[in-house]
Amino acid sequence: MTPREIAIAALAVGGVFFAVVAAVGVIRLPDLYTRSHSASKSDTLGAGMALAAVALTFGADISTVKTVLLLLFMFITNPTAAHAITRAAAEEGIEPWTRDDEEVDE
Amino acid sequence: MSDASANGAPSNDETESDERTVRPYVESPIIMATVRVVAPFVFTFGLFIMFHGADSSGGGFQGGVIVGTVILMLGIAFGIEPTREWVDPRTLVSLVGVGVLVFLVIGFGTVVAGGGFLDYDAVDIYHANKYGIELVELAIGVIVSGIITGLFFAIAAGASGGESA
Repeated sequence: MTPREIAIAALAVGGVFFAVVAAVGVIRLPDLYTRSHSASKSDTLGAGMALAAVALTFGADISTVKTVLLLLFMFITNPTAAHAITRAAAEEGIEPWTRDDEEVDE
Repeated sequence: MSDASANGAPSNDETESDERTVRPYVESPIIMATVRVVAPFVFTFGLFIMFHGADSSGGGFQGGVIVGTVILMLGIAFGIEPTREWVDPRTLVSLVGVGVLVFLVIGFGTVVAGGGFLDYDAVDIYHANKYGIELVELAIGVIVSGIITGLFFAIAAGASGGESA
């Protein structure tokens, strides 16, 4: 394998890993805030790495420019969408999840 | 972190003390900045999809939805009421009407020129087929984006809102 192929494979595997982490987080975490935390951070990185792999695969091509633009907008809009959702939830007065047994006040 | 909690705590108290008075929507600088950056690109992308319909996948319906999304984003970022004032419902309805008119004029224009309905080659213009399809796509896009925006405003008005479109 050439170094480029290794880089593409590593990026693709990393992208799949972070996408799976995000999916597990969305299913397993208890409330809206924690879920959006998982979905925004992990999913953005996963999609970003997958798109970087795609861009590397295309090489010097106009498609690479499009893919990099897509990556850029993904990095801008995905966290903003999560911010908008959680902000709306906070505005509605949804309480963050806490553990019932021990009320830790930090 | 400390900023967020400092902002969050008083606003929560406020909602609890002023029982159910609707506070004016406070815009988030993050959302506004992002929308300011992204909106022109989304608009251009929507137009691109619309005009691409003649050559490959894409077309007026998809592009119209994307262009309508721009208004939707503005509504989410800057509040519904300012957006509603900016985009007058009457303008929206007339846009939809103009779209339908353009479509019909092109459709029956080719009939007048001696072809069938939307039979572009009957008109004696260079590449009439391509330009005809693109004009029709543009008309469809205007209709679709107007309808999407109108539906958004109608939904945002809520069950009690009596305002039309």
